[in-house]
Amino acid sequence: MSGQRRSASSKADTQSKTSTNELMTSARSPEAFARLDDQHLLGIEGMTRPVIEGLIDRANQFAELPSREILPHLKGVTVFNLFFENSTRTRVSFDLAARKIGASVVNVPVSTSSIKKGESLLDTAVTLNAMHPDILVMRHQNSGASLMLSRHVDASVVNAGDGRHEHPTQALLDALTIKRRLGHITGLKIAICGDIANSRVARSNIHLLSTLGAEIRLVSPSTLLPAGISNMGVECHHDLMEGIEGVDIVMLLRLQTERMQGTETPSQREFFHLFGLDAAKLSEAAPKALIMHPGPMNRGVEIDSALADDVERSLITMQVDMGVAVRMACLEAVAAKRQEGPLS
Amino acid sequence: MSRIFFDRIHLADPSTGRDETASVLVEDGLVAAAGSPHEIGPPPSDATLISAEGAILAPGLVDMRVQSRNPGHTYQESRTSLTDAAIAGGITTMVCLPNTNPVLDNPDSLSALVRNEGDDDRPSPRIFAYGAATRNLDNEHMAELGLLAEAGAVGFTNGIIPISDSLVMRRIMDYAAMLDKPVIQHAEDMALAAGGEMHEGENSTRLGLRGIPAEAEEIMIARDITLARLTGVRYHIAHISTARGVDLVRRAKDEGISITCDTAPPYYLLNDLATLQYDTRFQLSPPLRSESDRQAVLDGIIDGTIDCIASDHAPQDRDAKLLPFGIAARGSSGLETLLPLVLGLYTSGYLPLIRAIEMISTAPAVLLDLPGGSLAPGSVADMVLFAPERGWQIRGSAFRSLSKSTPFEGQPVQGKVLSTWIAGKKVFEADVTDAG
Repeated sequence: MSGQRRSASSKADTQSKTSTNELMTSARSPEAFARLDDQHLLGIEGMTRPVIEGLIDRANQFAELPSREILPHLKGVTVFNLFFENSTRTRVSFDLAARKIGASVVNVPVSTSSIKKGESLLDTAVTLNAMHPDILVMRHQNSGASLMLSRHVDASVVNAGDGRHEHPTQALLDALTIKRRLGHITGLKIAICGDIANSRVARSNIHLLSTLGAEIRLVSPSTLLPAGISNMGVECHHDLMEGIEGVDIVMLLRLQTERMQGTETPSQREFFHLFGLDAAKLSEAAPKALIMHPGPMNRGVEIDSALADDVERSLITMQVDMGVAVRMACLEAVAAKRQEGPLS
Repeated sequence: MSRIFFDRIHLADPSTGRDETASVLVEDGLVAAAGSPHEIGPPPSDATLISAEGAILAPGLVDMRVQSRNPGHTYQESRTSLTDAAIAGGITTMVCLPNTNPVLDNPDSLSALVRNEGDDDRPSPRIFAYGAATRNLDNEHMAELGLLAEAGAVGFTNGIIPISDSLVMRRIMDYAAMLDKPVIQHAEDMALAAGGEMHEGENSTRLGLRGIPAEAEEIMIARDITLARLTGVRYHIAHISTARGVDLVRRAKDEGISITCDTAPPYYLLNDLATLQYDTRFQLSPPLRSESDRQAVLDGIIDGTIDCIASDHAPQDRDAKLLPFGIAARGSSGLETLLPLVLGLYTSGYLPLIRAIEMISTAPAVLLDLPGGSLAPGSVADMVLFAPERGWQIRGSAFRSLSKSTPFEGQPVQGKVLSTWIAGKKVFEADVTDAG
């Protein structure tokens, strides 16, 4: 590691020297919550570096707690999970995170066909608002839905994914995963590969990782690279081997067939051939380069199955693990900000 | 004989080029004389005398693109809210799209809406309509264009959707040329625009909204110009919004093709940055474009490539706008803001006063062969009297239209309608205490 890189990531390095015991002590202190600028957590775009780092550091403390430990920090706080779009891992992760930090959780069944998607959003919001939840965690198939919700409810809104727009807690957990494995983010070369156009994970990660000083490359077929994305401070590639050359991390994205129109790629076979990651292509990346994937994975489409299970290289399971800690930190920060009230 | 005398008033009549202090005598619904106070002389003793210092008398506005919602969608705009909004906006003639329920694809539906007379019971502007180009707007079968023309259709269009199929378009153009009626097109390649939620560009990428590329408009205009050349029809593009679209029209005009176009205020006043907060007031069709497109539309207005400006009134109910941006209804209420938003082109120095007024009165009246658009002697006395410098703030909640959604919410503007006249009869007068 170069001296320059070390100095740029000194905060991370200090943190990594912090003992597990110290982290656990901090996690148990309700005063150590992360500071937000807003009582909602809608996206990474516009978030400052200190806010992002505050959330990651707090989540890092929670990640050290014994898995059975329940914290009392959010006692009396009610969290409603509203998942208008199907989700397993994110919903369960939020559910678990809320319980582990002492909040009461209500999983509102809205993704079923009984509620016409989209159209009922505000009606649902108004109804739920009357039950005085403190935090609404929402996933919705339309971009901007969480911002819209936040303007019509008294509760704080945490965006668990809105359309193709943002998925802030995924980006935060990705960052925490990287930080715990490599100790820092500044200066890393990270390639985000696959279906960028339809990915809210890609957008949140671009904002977050570039705010923390990583160098970001996008690798995608031209049909899945959205207009003007190079203006977001990234380098674009259409050749996987070229795009991942020398990178520290390869972040793969799922082909979001449910958001695609059928003309983006000729076949999954061709996509895997050109853009799927296997051991041979990975050799172009830096030695010991790591692999990440927000899940759910399509084995044999964007990633070779054997590679996904390679514990030396794959951070995929760790990502899921970090999800709970990150969401604990987010829920806590939002609840704390609510108590404090809006910035005067 | 009823006589009205506008005494030494600022007359702005694009049809004669008069932009000066003048006196205007109206007799039995027609302009009897208009000229310098010296020429016209003193008012006849039996005339109703009207003088308004600082006010401008102009031909009543002719709005060539209005979605009436009548019949069938009256919860979005009732007949009375439609006509009240129009006359309050200084509009004396409006032309409605056929996207009603039932569709205006048959003479009966069309003539039920059309009213080329003052209304005895209730003040109303003149109402004309385009006939549907295809049956039930199905894009496959030509509607009864001949019968529709006899029933008063002033042109043919598929309304808010394009006439997509090239063969169908060719036939409609041929047939409309035979009938000497224009074909009006919403120029958008629907296949290319499929699933689109806003203009495609960096902003759509940031917002995670699916893009509608400017090329969707360009492609349709390019194809249609080719077919217009083939058929010789009078071809008109509605609400043009892109730089390349304007450029194609400019070149086609140079070539001598019979082509005209209009735009609407959002396309020369706003760009896609307005959508950054997912505010559905900015959910329009076509979508708000890039800043360079906006500037090109403005250039097209300035150099005359763009012939007319229409309100593009597309009333939507509140619920249809209270949705996530991508699935919110498209369109806004435009009747009551057309005059000040076009006068802004004059006060900002982009157009002479007379040209600004021409684009919303004389030009569409001539293009569609409608009454109005002129205050020359012998013309019908469809007029608007307005205070050009009077400032007010656009508030959707104050609209007479049932649709309160405007992309110009809160915007301060200049130019206030004082009174609206149809065939010499005052159909609207502003409340003098009305501060809004």
